Amino acid sequence: MQPKLIKSAGIVWTILYAAFVVWIYATAPRTFTEATTGASVVAGTYAIDEARFRAARELFGREQYAAARDEWVRADPAMRDARTQFYIAYAFYREGWGRVYNDDALFRQGLESIERAIRLSPEGALTVADPELKIRSAAELKAELQQGTESSIGDLNPLKVVRERK
Amino acid sequence: MKNQRDSNRLLVRHLLLPTIFLTVALMGGLRVAAETGAFLFIAPPLVALVLSVLLMLLFARGGLINLPAWFSGDHAPLTNVSHALTLLALFFASAQAFNSVLPESGLFRWMFAFFYLWTLWNNQFAAFEPRRLLRSLAALFGTAFVLKHMLLASLYAPDGGWLKRLAGALLEGFTQGTFGVQESYAPATGYISFFTLALYVLGLVLVPPAPDNGDAATAPERATGGLVAQFRQLSGEERALLRAEILRTERGLIEDEIHATQTD
Repeated sequence: MQPKLIKSAGIVWTILYAAFVVWIYATAPRTFTEATTGASVVAGTYAIDEARFRAARELFGREQYAAARDEWVRADPAMRDARTQFYIAYAFYREGWGRVYNDDALFRQGLESIERAIRLSPEGALTVADPELKIRSAAELKAELQQGTESSIGDLNPLKVVRERK
Repeated sequence: MKNQRDSNRLLVRHLLLPTIFLTVALMGGLRVAAETGAFLFIAPPLVALVLSVLLMLLFARGGLINLPAWFSGDHAPLTNVSHALTLLALFFASAQAFNSVLPESGLFRWMFAFFYLWTLWNNQFAAFEPRRLLRSLAALFGTAFVLKHMLLASLYAPDGGWLKRLAGALLEGFTQGTFGVQESYAPATGYISFFTLALYVLGLVLVPPAPDNGDAATAPERATGGLVAQFRQLSGEERALLRAEILRTERGLIEDEIHATQTD
């Protein structure tokens, strides 16, 4: 074998392997599955589990929000799909919404998910074409969640009880 | 046959060695959580980097790595780059080898770090030759492995290892029979550390002190370089014997020449 070829191959291999080691320490996967999912994200071959996504959507339709979120998390373990993150945020919103007061903890988790969805979507604009949803844009859902976590004088308005969940 | 040998040497130096050292760098920080079985990747602490610097200096001083032979203006750029990457991989492998045998926290961590620093600092001023240095390092890492993964692991075992019971009995009356808190890992961590250290020592054995480079050196130069490298691997006593033998042979040749001149 040509010495030059061996040296070149050695350099390329060493750089690639070193990058892999750095990536492993940066992402710190806790299981082999996490590592392979992360690798598929880097390789650009990552795709969510569509069957699980649909199952979660059905649960969401039946108002089983916690179960739906669990399924969506399994469908998108790397949290790289903007649409799935939008639905997770929506599930937090629906579950946390209250006629008298909202569940702040759930709303905050919803905010985290919707911000992730916005970051993942191209140009930060995400719209979901789902006729059964009253909020279809990520920006609108984020505003709704933010409003829910903030305290204002409007919270004392008795007419608040007649507002409707979106 | 010779070409095949040269190819194999190049493969070892430019492909196998970086692979071994990077694998050590990968596995050296890996722990397995006792309760969940999850992987925990622990980046090398600062003290491990300092220890690694000292170890690299020791490699250079002890002749395990002959730096002028590894980096030279006579080498092709590809060779120098490849050597630099290999030594960089060795540096991080050394840091991770220390990381693998350093306790994660507490007083023991600092005691171990001090013990390594003291040993490496003392060794900087000792006369070493590569083979003895390798034996010394194998002993250092072997001892550290036994201390951390067998003695300390037993001392902090959640179910109370034999050493914990013994220490508890000995220290009864002085303390509450405990040594503070230390994270406990799954037994797999010890196995990972064992193979990591074994791989690291194997890598060190494979490191040529003065790599002969197929690009610039001619065959006689390479042969001479090889002889010099082999000479450096000898112990002091063996070197003295070899020098005496060479002198005796040379003296005999000179006497023969003088005798032949006088006869003419």
